[in-house]
Amino acid sequence: MVVTAGIDIGTGAVKTVLFAVDGAATQWLARRTDRVRQRDPFQLATGAYAQVLAEAGLRPDDVGYVATTGEGELLDFHTGHFYSMTTHARGAIYLDPQARAALDVGALHGRATRIDARGKVLSYRMTSQCASGSGQFLENIARYLGIAQDEIGTLSRQADDPERVSGICAVLAETDVINMVSRGILAPNILKGIHLSMADRLAKLLKTVGSIDGTVLMTGGLALDEGLVAAMQEALRKEKVPQPIRNHPDSIYAGAIGAALWGAFRHGRLARRLGQSAAA
Amino acid sequence: MAASADIIDRCQHIFDDLHFRAARDWKAAVPGRFVVGYMPFYVPRELIHAAGGLPLGVLGGGDQLEVIHGDAYYQSYICRIPRSTLELAVTGRLDFVDAMLFPSTCDVIRNLSGMWKILFPKVRARYFDVPQNFSDHIGGTFYIHELTELRALLAELAAHAVTDDAIRASIALYNENRRLVRAVYALRARMPWQAPAAEVYLLMRAGMVLAVEEHNRMLDAYLEAAAAEKRPMRDNSRVVVTGAFCEQPPLNLIKSIELAGCYIVDDDFLLVNRWEKSDVPAEGDPIAALAGAYLHNSVNMAAKYEPDEERKGLHLVEAVRRTDAEGVIFACPSFCDPALLDRPMLQTVLARHNIPYIAFKYAENSGQMQPIREQAGTFADSIKLWSEP
Repeated sequence: MVVTAGIDIGTGAVKTVLFAVDGAATQWLARRTDRVRQRDPFQLATGAYAQVLAEAGLRPDDVGYVATTGEGELLDFHTGHFYSMTTHARGAIYLDPQARAALDVGALHGRATRIDARGKVLSYRMTSQCASGSGQFLENIARYLGIAQDEIGTLSRQADDPERVSGICAVLAETDVINMVSRGILAPNILKGIHLSMADRLAKLLKTVGSIDGTVLMTGGLALDEGLVAAMQEALRKEKVPQPIRNHPDSIYAGAIGAALWGAFRHGRLARRLGQSAAA
Repeated sequence: MAASADIIDRCQHIFDDLHFRAARDWKAAVPGRFVVGYMPFYVPRELIHAAGGLPLGVLGGGDQLEVIHGDAYYQSYICRIPRSTLELAVTGRLDFVDAMLFPSTCDVIRNLSGMWKILFPKVRARYFDVPQNFSDHIGGTFYIHELTELRALLAELAAHAVTDDAIRASIALYNENRRLVRAVYALRARMPWQAPAAEVYLLMRAGMVLAVEEHNRMLDAYLEAAAAEKRPMRDNSRVVVTGAFCEQPPLNLIKSIELAGCYIVDDDFLLVNRWEKSDVPAEGDPIAALAGAYLHNSVNMAAKYEPDEERKGLHLVEAVRRTDAEGVIFACPSFCDPALLDRPMLQTVLARHNIPYIAFKYAENSGQMQPIREQAGTFADSIKLWSEP
């Protein structure tokens, strides 16, 4: 049995998890999400790691592998770093064993990954640099509209006549929103319009990764935005993608989970290699 | 004992200084000293040293030099190193250099030697040709003639003869340099967390500017410091980086590869300092010794012809085996004919030996590292998670 930590340092939040892994059996020991909010993410991660250890009643020496993902490669106490796509793929399989694609929508970009039953990445596509398809953009718009972040999904689902925004450029999209506000468009219709525009781009992204033989799991910070999930379902219907798209209450942890589980895998492999070297 | 951080800090200053103050100071310290610039990939630095000169590696302008004049001399489909090298010269940064050597890396570098003659008539510019035939009586005879001509040029600059004894002494000194360079590379291959690739690179770059005696002391001190310090070992994939023997990658590219989860355990940056695979004989005829070392004891790379088709690319397989590497990253400068024409042949050999690889291109002033991190990161993951245990 090995205890592993997964730390996903994202642009918007730091997600930290602790797992005990014994062969195929896994036990999720602790979890924590810290919003970055202009603080040093590495200090946040260090503090979060101490907190999850305390929650699980463990010491740093009890942890066999500290795996980072996202922007976590500079965290000084990590054992290994995994690329986000790799960890979201593994996290998606953990959260939904039927998942054959992960749609990671974070603060800065969206990423569609086609995966197999082991969590191996088969193909992937990312949104381009423009921020209009990202959580950061949505967060900015919510702030302009004076809406709390956790209200976005609920309000979006109340829309009756959504107004679409530019799906290409964040600057144009923000101008669209300013125009909508001055025209008296209600916030739910503005938010739903943004969700639909984002969903259009993400659905096209999903179509480019190839044939998906299972469900699509939304991961990342925006996976819990019910408004975006509903818009994604509409967009996939429009794009004639038959696979169901779901989220999971722990979707935000997918990257951190994947990091921790891959960390356990590497720990086992390295231990075997060390054993072989010692035997030789 | 100096800390490795202090040594690397000094190397970083030398690396950042596009006015080459360390070389200028060396020249100004004693009247009559002279400086001979050289471009990648190889010149016999022993001869320059034996004549009393300082061999100065001119490796382009890197990512901190804005190229304005240099662009006027080259088409857009030419690599960046000749432009930035011209920029260095046109802006007076190389005004203390008495002679320039242009090795036969490619047509662009050869043509740069001609341009140098026209633009800087007071500087002794020489296209330094090396043999592509490796038999003693053909390539050897040719190369001894080439070395003899270079010896005469250096004697002119020094205003005295370059004696056999002086060359033998310089060969011995450079043998020591090569031994220390090999020791640093061996340390990195054994414990890459103790000698990160960016540090090793800066250490080797300092040797392109400093006198060999000083560089030897620096290498010695680094070896002692790096072995004594304890740094955390990461679970990274071990890779060989190849294709970067001429235009140098930005330092951030080297750092990005390692940050993305790869340990660079071998590379072909700055090949001049380990061109000969073992010592050059420091006895007998020194010119014949240098020629023999080039013909029979030098590394393989794209600008050197491989006469045996069966042997093509095996040096890379051997590098992977020797350093216990798990994959190869082809990092080639954009528009680099030798590296990019060689790449498919080398990739075929790697595929035949089941060695995974990826490839990308860069320019010395590339600033956007996200795609590099992405490629290197996913490559590292694929090795760590999906290769055979």
